[in-house]
Amino acid sequence: MKKSLYTLFKKDCRMMASGKFFFVALGSLLIYTLFIHFGYLKFMDMDIYNVYLYDPAGTQAQASLLVHPTASLEEMDAMLEKDANGVGIDAGDGRPDVVLYAGSEKVDRHRADYALSLLYSGSSYTPETVGGNTPEMKKRKEITCELLFIEIVAVGFLGIASVLFKEKQMGVIRIHAVMPLHRSLFIFSKVFLFLLTDLVFAVLLTVLNVGAAGMGSFLPAVLVQTAILSLAMALTGFGCAMVLRDFKQFSLAYLVIAFFATAPVFLTANTPVKMAWARYYPFYQVYMGLKNAFFGTAVTSPVYFVRAACVIILLFGIVFAAFSREMGREG
Amino acid sequence: MIGVKDLTFSYGKDKQALHGLSFSVEDGEIFGFLGPNGSGKSTTQKILTGILDGYGGMVSLFGKEVKEARTRDFFQKIGVLFEFPYLYANLSALDNLRYFSSFYPREQLRDAEELLDELEFKRDFLRKPVSSYSKGMRQRVSMARALISNPKLLFLDEPTSGLDPAGAVLFRRIIENERKKGTTVFLTTHNMQDADLLCDRVAFMAGGNIAALDTPGNLKAQNSGRRIVIEYLDQGRRKEKTVTASKLKQSIPFACDELISIHSQEPTLEDIFIQYTGRGLSS
Repeated sequence: MKKSLYTLFKKDCRMMASGKFFFVALGSLLIYTLFIHFGYLKFMDMDIYNVYLYDPAGTQAQASLLVHPTASLEEMDAMLEKDANGVGIDAGDGRPDVVLYAGSEKVDRHRADYALSLLYSGSSYTPETVGGNTPEMKKRKEITCELLFIEIVAVGFLGIASVLFKEKQMGVIRIHAVMPLHRSLFIFSKVFLFLLTDLVFAVLLTVLNVGAAGMGSFLPAVLVQTAILSLAMALTGFGCAMVLRDFKQFSLAYLVIAFFATAPVFLTANTPVKMAWARYYPFYQVYMGLKNAFFGTAVTSPVYFVRAACVIILLFGIVFAAFSREMGREG
Repeated sequence: MIGVKDLTFSYGKDKQALHGLSFSVEDGEIFGFLGPNGSGKSTTQKILTGILDGYGGMVSLFGKEVKEARTRDFFQKIGVLFEFPYLYANLSALDNLRYFSSFYPREQLRDAEELLDELEFKRDFLRKPVSSYSKGMRQRVSMARALISNPKLLFLDEPTSGLDPAGAVLFRRIIENERKKGTTVFLTTHNMQDADLLCDRVAFMAGGNIAALDTPGNLKAQNSGRRIVIEYLDQGRRKEKTVTASKLKQSIPFACDELISIHSQEPTLEDIFIQYTGRGLSS
């Protein structure tokens, strides 16, 4: 069994190499790294948040000069609409209440905390420590997490399907039906190779863009989440390649799957758009698992891992059935 | 070696492919399975090779029911040549053979290069990718793949397809050699010449049934009119007469100056196939 698996694995490596898959993965790694270093960090290096204060009675005497006073609540709302990253403080009744642009209330507490700290300029006010990351590190981790998610969901998924369609086209899958090897090894070898590739990709992307220092504290958790996502996507790609007749059909399915996998996740996680159902959405759960892992608050709930294991086992069963059916098809 | 009794198979509720086939194949026999497209040949072969299950009736190979026999040991004993030369196009002939043979025990294997030599594969192409091969060369590599594990039971689907006449003769010789070694061969084909020259017995498939099963010789003899065509010269003119075989028992039953040729008028296997099934093999 070990020998068979090794032979299959070696052959799959050759297939992926001849299909330029490793080259594409390396290219993606390079492009993502260049984007993060020379594009994203500069692009996202914005000015400090503006803080707008509505304080008609002048109760906030210690407010910093960085605070912009407004004459009315309407004026403050208008400012926040124009400056969605700004923070408003309504001290109309003498007690400062934080006002954020609609939809971003739960995005980050440190903006609110920063705004409140400006009200006590020169005093002993100590802002709450939200996390140990510098703003740049936070940005690096956020974008690395997003690109890793995209890479696995879109690129890896496409990669396994393209290799399988090649084998389908050559008809060699049928030969494996009459070989003295267990059918599941054929699936296992491919999925394992893609898992390994995704894990290496995750390590390299993290080292190049987040840095090697302190990586030990969060990388294992990142790799666990990467493995869950990678296994699920590789099996989905495998299943699609077995069920769909040709690569043209797959391309359409790919667009639909990649869109439905990523769009609700990024809309919910990165924009003011809030979808109540998103927390039940498996891709969102894995994405948040990945993000939390990057920020050192890895998922520890056994329920999450049991659910992930069940999904992977179920997908494997479906793929095995589709693979067996493909072997029996006419040439 | 193979025992099939009341074999039925259906691809769906209304798509019954096999309607109760019964036949057996003896050890060391070359058994021909003939029939037009859609007659159930491939389905039968897939059931015998363990690719398809969900069939009705009984199918035994090596004395065991196929459903239970699909073990590593079972697949080590069979070799299958598919209708099309399925190979990894990015790998060379040698790499393909090395890859596929690595699933078998080493002591069971034949030498890949020797086998390819036997199949008259051009040595220059041994290390070139299969994508650069002609159909005949691919067919040779596929045959080598089926033979490399020294199978006890060989399933061949259209083995001479894509080969030139010399290649077809070579393949027939190789199949004959396999039989001499004691290998049982289950040959699925459209090619009447292959069936006639190679098979000990043939089964004619039509619409999921076996329409006839016997040796090619018996099938031809049973359906022969026993007529003989004689060409001769009579007073300097070339003439032709057809007589029954019994009339030739004593002597030529008419006057002639010189005999030119005597031909027996045996029907071909294809004639007999049409007679039994009402359909041509290519339909």
